[in-house]
Amino acid sequence: MSIDEKEVVSRAIKGDGEAFAQLYEEYFDKVYRYIYLRLREKAEVEDLAQEVFVKALEAIGSYRWRNLPFASWLFRIARNHMIDHLRKAGKVEKIDWDDNIAHVEGPNPARIAEQRLEIEELRDNVEKLSPAQRAVISLRFGGELSVDEVAKVLGKSPGTVKALQHSGIVSLKKIMLVDR
Amino acid sequence: MSRKIKIEDILDNCLERLFKGESIEDCLRDYPWQASELEPLLKTSLALLQKSAAIQPNPEFRAKVGSQLQGMLHAKREKAEEKAVGPIWRRRWAVAMSTVLVVLLAGIGTVAASADALPDGSLYAVKLAMEQARIALAFSDTDRAELHIQFAERRATEIAEMACQGESGEIPALSEQVADHLDKVYEVEEAQEFEGGGPKILAPTPAPVPGPSGRVWDDTGGGEPEEKLKTMLGESRARSLSVLQAALTKTPEGAKASLEQAIRDVEQDYDEALSNLGN
Repeated sequence: MSIDEKEVVSRAIKGDGEAFAQLYEEYFDKVYRYIYLRLREKAEVEDLAQEVFVKALEAIGSYRWRNLPFASWLFRIARNHMIDHLRKAGKVEKIDWDDNIAHVEGPNPARIAEQRLEIEELRDNVEKLSPAQRAVISLRFGGELSVDEVAKVLGKSPGTVKALQHSGIVSLKKIMLVDR
Repeated sequence: MSRKIKIEDILDNCLERLFKGESIEDCLRDYPWQASELEPLLKTSLALLQKSAAIQPNPEFRAKVGSQLQGMLHAKREKAEEKAVGPIWRRRWAVAMSTVLVVLLAGIGTVAASADALPDGSLYAVKLAMEQARIALAFSDTDRAELHIQFAERRATEIAEMACQGESGEIPALSEQVADHLDKVYEVEEAQEFEGGGPKILAPTPAPVPGPSGRVWDDTGGGEPEEKLKTMLGESRARSLSVLQAALTKTPEGAKASLEQAIRDVEQDYDEALSNLGN
């Protein structure tokens, strides 16, 4: 956590709305992407991303950065919430892609269609990984967390996370080659 | 095994560099002996990175959640502020409990002795603390208003006594306190009216019922406390001004101007309070 972020988090803990808004700006898309790589239905992804921040807002008063980086704390909430959700839901549905792709500049339907396919492919490929690899890859690439931060979210050592990251990328390389 | 750990570390180092915007070639240049193994992994990682970055929430949804959270934060802050201040009964009890402590620490004899204390006396603070406690513990708004009238009159009496002793320095502050107490009579009465469920409805007034001694009693209920307060206030005004006027003859010349000003102020404050109650 950078010094600036520590300062922002400290203010948010004290109930500073502007500070919490800054954290929201910094992390919302990352949390959304992380959840997105694990779930299929758009409404589910949105609901969960929203609920993660509501939970974070309710709990931020008790957050202490000393033992856990803020990003790890936030993604731990996201992960636990998603696990609860998956346990309760037990079913996976096809996602609606329309609102989940980057906004491509200008009217370029071909590029949009291509991007949809790429994202769909990514989602399908990540799903083929082992649960442990999937957990690491989605936190590392969706959440943009460092290896140390991922280790804190999962309660594993950084060495284990690096090993899972490596094996996950090797698996994805093979999967992507087979798909081609 | 050691070679595998090494490739994991190298891959992680290169990934961090890709996240920061460096190219695959930059990384490979630093690890030429691992380039053949590393390159396809970095290409896969870069594709993963680019595709992940393309996943974005709907901007409208993002903004909606942001404003919902701001609303929650606002409510949370208001709740915290309310909790910090506490409900009025809690504050009143806090005042009362502090006063009990004063009484316990100072002793009951001291509290009794403070009843006649003047602003330049050492027990005056005890006297004021006891007044605050009585106000805080009053059973009803009417009782509280009556106490304010009583204490306004006390301050007026103190003005007279201080003036007689030639101590004019405390007189303006005491006049202010008379005004404060009289303002609160109106505030209490107004709150009572508000809490009573909105504006009073003017119902046809039944004929007054003669009491056992021939005195006429108003049994309508509504308006009785206000009338009582008005009567009390009128009587208090008369007594306060009488005491102050009487003090004029005993006041040294040096303090007379302050006393005369206080008489004008106190008279005006009472008249305003009576006028407010009449509205």
